[in-house]
Amino acid sequence: MLFNSYDYLLWFLPAALIVFFALGRRPLAAQAWLTVASLVFYGWWNPWHLPLILGSIAVNFAVARALQRGAGRAILAFGIAANLAVLGVFKYADFLVANVARLTSETPRLLHLALPLGISFFTFTQIAYLVDVYRRKAREPVLVNYALFVTFFPHLLAGPILHHSEMMPQFAEATNKRPQAANLASGLFLLTIGLMKKVLLADTFAPIADAGFGAPAALSAPAAWIAVLAYTMQIYFDFSGYTDMALGAARMFNIRMPINFDSPYRATDIREFWHRWHMTLSRFLREYLYIPLGGNRNGEWRTATNVLATFLLGGLWHGAAWTFVLWGFLHGLAMIVCRAWQRGGMALPRPFAWALTFLFVTVSWVFFRATSADDAFSMLRAMAGIDAAPAAQTLAWLDSVEATLAGMLSVPPSWTLVPAAIGLAIVWRRANSNALVQRFEPTLANGALTALALPLCVLQLARVTPFLYFNF
Amino acid sequence: MTADPTPSPATSAPAARRWFALALGVAVAILVAVGAFNAYIDPFQQFRIATRYPPRYYTSLHRYIAPGLAKNAAYDTLLTGSSIVENTRNDTIGRTCGGVGLNVAMPALTGYEQGLILRTALAARRLKRAIVVLDFTGFGGAPGARHPLAGPLPTYLYDRNPFNDFPYLLSWGVLVRSWRIVEADASERFRTDAAAPWWWADQKRFARSEVLRHLDPRDLNAQFPQPTLEIEAMRVSFARNILPVLEGHPQTEFDLVWPPYSIIVWGDYVQRRQLDVTLAFKRYVFEATRELANVHIIDLQGVAEVTHNLDLYTDLYHFAPSINDWLIDAACHDRHRVRADNVDALGAALRAQALAFDPAELEPK
Repeated sequence: MLFNSYDYLLWFLPAALIVFFALGRRPLAAQAWLTVASLVFYGWWNPWHLPLILGSIAVNFAVARALQRGAGRAILAFGIAANLAVLGVFKYADFLVANVARLTSETPRLLHLALPLGISFFTFTQIAYLVDVYRRKAREPVLVNYALFVTFFPHLLAGPILHHSEMMPQFAEATNKRPQAANLASGLFLLTIGLMKKVLLADTFAPIADAGFGAPAALSAPAAWIAVLAYTMQIYFDFSGYTDMALGAARMFNIRMPINFDSPYRATDIREFWHRWHMTLSRFLREYLYIPLGGNRNGEWRTATNVLATFLLGGLWHGAAWTFVLWGFLHGLAMIVCRAWQRGGMALPRPFAWALTFLFVTVSWVFFRATSADDAFSMLRAMAGIDAAPAAQTLAWLDSVEATLAGMLSVPPSWTLVPAAIGLAIVWRRANSNALVQRFEPTLANGALTALALPLCVLQLARVTPFLYFNF
Repeated sequence: MTADPTPSPATSAPAARRWFALALGVAVAILVAVGAFNAYIDPFQQFRIATRYPPRYYTSLHRYIAPGLAKNAAYDTLLTGSSIVENTRNDTIGRTCGGVGLNVAMPALTGYEQGLILRTALAARRLKRAIVVLDFTGFGGAPGARHPLAGPLPTYLYDRNPFNDFPYLLSWGVLVRSWRIVEADASERFRTDAAAPWWWADQKRFARSEVLRHLDPRDLNAQFPQPTLEIEAMRVSFARNILPVLEGHPQTEFDLVWPPYSIIVWGDYVQRRQLDVTLAFKRYVFEATRELANVHIIDLQGVAEVTHNLDLYTDLYHFAPSINDWLIDAACHDRHRVRADNVDALGAALRAQALAFDPAELEPK
């Protein structure tokens, strides 16, 4: 089930909240309900993946219990290996098989396994938990509590990646089983902001990016830049919008989850970008990969190697394709350059530093979005004006994209620019959703915004999309 | 790591409670009002056939309107096919076949969509006859494949589950069309003739010169690029999407029709080495259905008087309304039927025609 769906918004979330608070006087029952609801949420798309997540929870809980009883490093290694094996089979097996087949010039025998939703998130969450139990930083004796920590539906599909220590005390707190008006109100407000980002902005930028990345070799240079910038906006509003919806829903259950985005496109260097973008993944990679690899403790050369390894694996975590590895490599390289630059004490003028960072992030998204390395390089060539279509074709391309958008949104063509303008204002405005919810007061203005934006977003969930077969 | 920030402690519980109740209450009220309005107007005729206003058959929204017609219209003979059968009138179907006809054609229809609309219609009523016009391309790819330009398929309109109606009732696109009906705003292209909802023949010219315009004899596929077909994928698609429908409704007569593409299409198949796969698929469909007494196969693809007369076409695939009428007549009167004693001869004759066709003849003299 997705947050931006009728099922979730119209019955799942209201039912989950009502029953949870109705069971508030019996905390264990309330937690059990929330766990069951989370499993329903997870299994909605494909119930056959439920045994996988249940098995994963059972094995990790058993390993954690063994570690709590003093089992050694071998059990920890087994637990981590088991998690990585599941991830490997479902996410990376076909990638490996295809690459081996390419090397041996044989026909690949792919498994074609459907990727279970959120597998990267619940696997990493549990690896972190096992490591923390081994380090004596975490301990959870009750299976229901542990299952809720893993499956709690707001974070299950797309994060944030949680620390046991920041969640379990909140689940254990008895007062959190009672409705708290301030949390319900601010949670609904945050959920609405997230829904607006996802439905009104990301889903509107998506067709522009799709049109460009669908045929990069046919683009003029300006069209290529427009498509890449559209994707830059789409991915931010999509992911941060989804995160806001997650945080908003969790907040309605009186649960605070860590923030994941903090206006990343305002960063003035790539290190700052990674302190603002997918922050819980950065934290995970830093604590459970970069630092165990040695971090910055063994000289510059080793530090650079560790940074690069961390980003290569971070890239691969996003998807089983060489384009993600290339994307990770570019960011790792940029981090190394940035680190060296800053150690040299050279400061760039702030606007120039911002522009350089934004340009790098934007260009690197080409590898993240392209469906193949060939397409990525086609797009980069088009952006550079090499083998690109004549610039005069840009207007015709824009007209066709505008017509697609206007048909999809059921608005006049000139209105299709409105989401782009709003999007740009949001990206560079000072107050992001974190700040807005921090200073949330129940005012008429934000009440009116919520009351109007929420139905407007729901009405945009199922768009009436005309068939664009031009001849008939 | 910064936690999701706590709101100002100054937020009082009663004020927050009032805010929450009002914001949520207004939002829900708006949604209820929109849902009620859309249900009342029902622009895509999902709950009832339009009688309070002239029905609107939007020229690019077949996939939204056809399931409503299939569920709610009064008919006993269904026609399903791609854009090539859009110029078939419902009253022609009824008159020719002796019943009440309904055309639910959709451009670039795939086997998956054809199976879906058939199941939707058969779940709504018992059909006397279903004329199923088969396109090779529709059976290419995976069993659930769809045309890349067709947009998302509103599957929620193809069932009777009331909980699946929310995406229809609570949709901005539906609201806009409901409002335009109330306002009598005709800014979007649509037809109002319920007897010929998808008709476009009046906007095209049917002539050899029209067919040859934009056609490259050395690359016949260039004008309407079609994907390469694979027999195994086609078999699987037919077996999953169509065959269970034929087997599950023995009281309904099914006419599977191979439509009369122009001979140029067969020239294209020869150029692209697709002749064997298309003929093999035709043979497979015959074998898969030969034991089903309620299924007849009508093959119009080898009728040279039609397929070689390019004045009957507007492009290499789409033919004139008179050919649509002829197709319905053939289906309902069992003409050009494929039987065990002529299936080999029909296949051989079509192969011979295809191989004999020389695209160079299309070059301007």
